[in-house]
Amino acid sequence: MIAVLEILVRLAVWLLLAPLLPGLINRVKAWVAGRRGPPVLQLYYDLARLWQKSVVLSTLASPAFIAGPAVAWVAVLGAALLLPLGPAGVALSFRGDVILLVYLLAVARFCTAWAAMETGSAFEGMGSVREVSYAVLAEAALITAVLALSVHTGSITLATMLAPAAGAGAVLLGAGLFLVLLAENCRVPFDDPNTHLELTMIHEAMILDHSGPPLAALLHGAAMKLLFFAALLTQAVLPLGNLAPLPAAAALAAGILAVTVGIGLVESLLARLAFRRVPLLLTTAFLLCLFALLMAWKGSAP
Amino acid sequence: MTAGPPLLLAALGLVGATVLGRSQPKTWLALTLLGTTSALTAALLVFADGSGATPWDWRSAFLVGGEALHLRLDGLSALFLALLCVIGGTGAVYAREYWADKQFPGSAPRGRMWWSALVLSMGFVLLSSNGLHFLIGWELFTLSAYFLVTLDRQRHPVRAAGWLYLTASHVGTMCLFAFFALLAARTGSWELGPLREQADLAPLFWLALLGFGVKGGVFPLHVWLPSAHANAPSHVSALMSGVAIKMGIYGLVRFSGWLPVPAAAGWVVIGLGAVGAVLGIAFAFAQNDLKRLLAYCSVENIGVILIGLGGALLGVRYGDAPWGRLALAGALLHVWNHGLFKALLFLGAGSVLHATGTREMSRLGGLWRTMPWTAGLFALGAAAISGLPPLNGFVSEWLVYLGLFDAVTHRGPAAAAALLAAIMLGVTGALALATFVKAGAVVFLGAARTKAAAHAHECGPLMRAPMIALAVICVTLGLAPVLFWPAIARAVGVWHPTWSAADTTAPLATLGPVQLALALVFILGAVFLWRRSHANGLRRALTWDCGYAAPTAHMQYTGGSFAEVGAGWFSWILRPERILRRVRGPFPTGAGRFERVPETVLERVFTPVGVAVMRLSTATRRLQHGRLQFYIAYVVAGVATLGLIVYLGETP
Repeated sequence: MIAVLEILVRLAVWLLLAPLLPGLINRVKAWVAGRRGPPVLQLYYDLARLWQKSVVLSTLASPAFIAGPAVAWVAVLGAALLLPLGPAGVALSFRGDVILLVYLLAVARFCTAWAAMETGSAFEGMGSVREVSYAVLAEAALITAVLALSVHTGSITLATMLAPAAGAGAVLLGAGLFLVLLAENCRVPFDDPNTHLELTMIHEAMILDHSGPPLAALLHGAAMKLLFFAALLTQAVLPLGNLAPLPAAAALAAGILAVTVGIGLVESLLARLAFRRVPLLLTTAFLLCLFALLMAWKGSAP
Repeated sequence: MTAGPPLLLAALGLVGATVLGRSQPKTWLALTLLGTTSALTAALLVFADGSGATPWDWRSAFLVGGEALHLRLDGLSALFLALLCVIGGTGAVYAREYWADKQFPGSAPRGRMWWSALVLSMGFVLLSSNGLHFLIGWELFTLSAYFLVTLDRQRHPVRAAGWLYLTASHVGTMCLFAFFALLAARTGSWELGPLREQADLAPLFWLALLGFGVKGGVFPLHVWLPSAHANAPSHVSALMSGVAIKMGIYGLVRFSGWLPVPAAAGWVVIGLGAVGAVLGIAFAFAQNDLKRLLAYCSVENIGVILIGLGGALLGVRYGDAPWGRLALAGALLHVWNHGLFKALLFLGAGSVLHATGTREMSRLGGLWRTMPWTAGLFALGAAAISGLPPLNGFVSEWLVYLGLFDAVTHRGPAAAAALLAAIMLGVTGALALATFVKAGAVVFLGAARTKAAAHAHECGPLMRAPMIALAVICVTLGLAPVLFWPAIARAVGVWHPTWSAADTTAPLATLGPVQLALALVFILGAVFLWRRSHANGLRRALTWDCGYAAPTAHMQYTGGSFAEVGAGWFSWILRPERILRRVRGPFPTGAGRFERVPETVLERVFTPVGVAVMRLSTATRRLQHGRLQFYIAYVVAGVATLGLIVYLGETP
């Protein structure tokens, strides 16, 4: 009974809090630009509206066009449930769950790319290509970051990997993970969520043909992925394990808020990179994580 | 019951199938299925044998080539035998419709005969415990596979592929001849068995690595694999990619377990594995021929298996570490998994080839509508090979990751190698995902690019049933890996007896239910979203095309464009050839762009060496000119040199 209640509370946290983050980012961008900006709860209104709308399906698309967003959403939710939430811990933890987590994100990528190619359109093709190609480098950086945490704590279970402090390499790891966050969530400087020009998009190009409930699933999934990466980044950098539960929860929330504001500032102050430079920045992220790994190696040598 | 009677039944069935294959297709299929099922039963008996103390062992009374036949079935060979039986049986059913007598009156009877011969000879190799008979079986297996690859020998690319396969295989067999001969010389008999105490056998490992590596498709010895697997009939490609290259892996695993290995063995194997995995999938990503893409992907997966084996060798070297056990378990499970989903993918590609007549991805497209089963099963295979949960590919890669991560956290001397291998494995996984989104999407999704693709038809029941069977096994392995763990643990125990204490099913015990729950929620989510979309109202319209008035199928993204970004990073080794006919003049007649990714190691490394050898031979042949006076001079010079040697060497 308590376990069921706990799962429901966790689900509520992930499902209900996730759409807040894009709203906050838009508010920060508006503030920097001197505008008032859309309401913070705008994504909630959008999701509610989309959920009621009908669907226009391309004549070329198979049923996988609708199944894809559903599977991607479930995969992101599964990854989110495997991530510890600060003092609240995690619902399910077993040895090697961090690898399941990384590959659940890969499932989401596979499904969105497949659904995008269903339309037989060059725009979605462009988006899919960029997404799956840049993911190769982002994955290298993410695996290196996971290895750094693993070396520091000596475990491969997420619950114990995130708890202690990341040590002196925390800054490097944070920078590397922040770049991975920007890449995986299609933020400036890798992708611009504002432009709807297909030639310059990655994520937005892939969802051009979706409408109605599948589009709502995709947008909500993207918001959950953003919350997931923000929580991962915060817990990898801040020593939440050393604090009492309530301060730890407050620190986690403050960390996620700080990451969100940071994304907003980066989006306002930087321009999107030319696509030929994106691999360079991703390699930089990989190198930052690699240096964090080397520092963890040196730092906790037996 | 011992494994003896089923194996005898299997042998009789397959021999009967080989003899009757040419004339009676139905009897052939029945006998082949009987043979493979009996052998599978034998393998399952070995797995079920709880004590596992002594493997099934049989020596014959008669001599073959001067040695008594010595057959042995233990946990390790049973693992490979089970895979052989599944793929051999499903491929035989597939061949009944795919390579039927009606379309191929000349080659279909031959194909049936050689198929049973190949399955029989591979089974013999797995069972034989005598070096001489191992070699005989190996050669028979090579030849049967050659005749199967060149079934469609009217076409020049097929003949060229067969020739390359034969040459490369025999280079490997030469190394194996040397290996077994030296082994027999040093141990005094042709008998094979655990011989870990004899340290002077260690350098023979390099010969074994070369010989088995050629057959296994280890990078850079894989040069025969792409053309052979692409040009062979699809069911033959499935058997070769699924099982034949695993014979190379079997040899490596078997002899690194029975014989001592040099100190550097683990490092070399894990290095070859990691490099082969990344480069193999990079080559696959750049291909535009569906079966060539799948062939290069086999090189990648052999690399993954070698990463696991290398990890195990390093674990043994550095104190019998338990992480080596996990790495080997992952490698052996990946042998099964890759055999299954690669066979599924090749059978799917065969279905596409059968329906459209082309392997070129740029001529396909939109096949999901006319071939829904093939499309769905190929998509399942693509998800499995990308290592996505909740399918079987993820389970084996997860085990290898666990082994590598444990090696890193234990901080031993092997930690650096494990670190690099783990990062390269991650890159490989992401590239494999990209490759299979490309393969599946360009072939099955969107609109048909040519008339051939538009007029495709779904394959018949005899072609669909094997694919469905393989898909079911893949899904079962993914959702309930604990069922298969005892077999893997026993094989690991056979390889390294110190590791036979089967303690940990714990890693898989949680993963299985989690994958099952994931699969259920995936299906529920998809159904729910589908029903919601229909409830809201669903109408069909043209894909949004930015207001372009006349979109055509050629405006879709092509396979080449899909791979452009990723393949560009690897262009230093891919070296694509581009032929560009530009648009010229005010009234251009035509323009075109042709791009081909050659087999770089073959064309840049082996072919120049071969050309140099031929030039040297041609130069040497100038000595053979037919003039008697010079020949007398050669004889005089030779005798004089001999005399000089004797004169100089006389004084003790």
